[in-house]
Amino acid sequence: MIRTVAKRALDKKEPRLVENTKQALFVTGKTSTQVLHDAMIDLGALKKPDLKRFNKKNDVRPFEDAEPLEFFSEKNDCSLLVVSSSSKKRKNNLTFVRTFGYKVYDMIELQIAENYKFLSDFKKQTFAVGLKPMFAFQGAVFDTHPVYKQLKSLFLDFFRGTVSNLHDVAGLQHVIAVTVQGDFEDGEPLPNVLFRVYKLKTYKSEQGGPKLPRVELEEVGPRFDFKIGRIQSPSPELEKEAHKRAKQLEPKTKKNVSSDGMGDKFGTIHLGKQDLGKLQTRKMKGLKSKFDQTELDSETEDYVNEDEEDLQGGAEESYGEDFVTANDIDVEPPTKKARK
Amino acid sequence: MSTSAEERKSLPVTVEKAIPVTYDLGNLAVFDSNTLDRNDLDSSNAKREEHIKTLTRDNVQLMINQILSLPIKNSTESVNGSSGQSANVTLVQLPDPTTDLPREKPLPKPKAPTKWEQFAAKKGIKSKEKAGKMVYDEASGEWVPKWGYKGANKKLDSQWLVEVDDAPKKSGDELIDPRNLSRAERKKLVKKNELQQKRNLKGAK
Repeated sequence: MIRTVAKRALDKKEPRLVENTKQALFVTGKTSTQVLHDAMIDLGALKKPDLKRFNKKNDVRPFEDAEPLEFFSEKNDCSLLVVSSSSKKRKNNLTFVRTFGYKVYDMIELQIAENYKFLSDFKKQTFAVGLKPMFAFQGAVFDTHPVYKQLKSLFLDFFRGTVSNLHDVAGLQHVIAVTVQGDFEDGEPLPNVLFRVYKLKTYKSEQGGPKLPRVELEEVGPRFDFKIGRIQSPSPELEKEAHKRAKQLEPKTKKNVSSDGMGDKFGTIHLGKQDLGKLQTRKMKGLKSKFDQTELDSETEDYVNEDEEDLQGGAEESYGEDFVTANDIDVEPPTKKARK
Repeated sequence: MSTSAEERKSLPVTVEKAIPVTYDLGNLAVFDSNTLDRNDLDSSNAKREEHIKTLTRDNVQLMINQILSLPIKNSTESVNGSSGQSANVTLVQLPDPTTDLPREKPLPKPKAPTKWEQFAAKKGIKSKEKAGKMVYDEASGEWVPKWGYKGANKKLDSQWLVEVDDAPKKSGDELIDPRNLSRAERKKLVKKNELQQKRNLKGAK
């Protein structure tokens, strides 16, 4: 019995073609603070119900030694880890770690700057638990700068929840806005990332008609200004491995069916080569096949046939008369007919 | 937020952007790559939060417009299974996510070939077409399963007359009830197959 239970637990951890929602694990570091504790609670509120929490403090330093984190990841089957730590050099620091196959994929340190505000500080009705949030990434660097690209990928991966192609309209309740604090040039320090969560309020609008509403926002928290600390990006090989897509899941291309820019569907039909000899042209007596102009050699063949028939003698003729059909008579040359 | 409902009615639902924003509607995400003024977003600016909010509002408005113009499916779903209540749910059909995110675990490995499959590949033996489980029983005029409950392979077990060899192959064989022989043979095959299955599973890991 125990063996089957253990086997089932192991089977659950097996890699799958279509993966489950990534689980998050919040690890309290040895030097964690009350601020970090509250921040992790609030981030967890956005991630619920796909998370686990460690209450006791753990002596982990991700950038020095990532082995314990890999161990936690495997034991808890979580691929998103958040470690809290605080020091003089890096105050109120959250390390976001992603794992791939229980090995560290990438890490990024985000330090909470002074003007933070928690969910409890807003004292407003917040979003419901377990809803898929919307995202707004504001800043061109999210598409260009490698660090911000990694951040975008991390935040999307962390909070997006379950992927489904049907979404309840009433479930569009809150938006996570991630804004870069101004544009910057190379050489300048990386600007902070502003993390805000708003609740949507929609109003009927005359301009939008019955379909499109006017959207207004209300901040519900948490509010964090993240200062970017140390970064570890994935190696190119690991990145390639992690972004592999299953061939079985790719949509099959249908042969001979195409569509143009307007969405019109086209089909290609392959036909065999047309036999022009069988083409039906105008019907008239002169075009009947019996009047076909045949070559000389076919005429000589006819004579040979006649000779042979003669040679075969009377036996053939005695049967022959009974079996002669109208068709035969038609085809045979008139000379032979006269002889009979 | 001091605007009244009347004023809101006349507010626009469209937003003008210098660079059009991009969407990943599968992830409900919008990406705005317009330039951001550093002074507006500086922590010393008193109106900073206002700026972020209006910026986000514009982007969310654009995304909501996009989402609501996707194909919509209405369905009734029972809210509480026991109470039998049902509510009308409006669902939007989202496209597949376009942002490439890393997987959690590597792709599953294909199943290892069994010993027979290896042998068949070496010898070039093609697998037979599936013939189905049922077989026609001439005697009773019915379709019966080849194996299992009332299976055709159990016919030998219940013969009223059993053929017996003239001389036993091994000493001591004469003690065995010849009626049980065919059943024992069938059971032996089952055991053998189980063993092979186990061996294949072990080899796969």
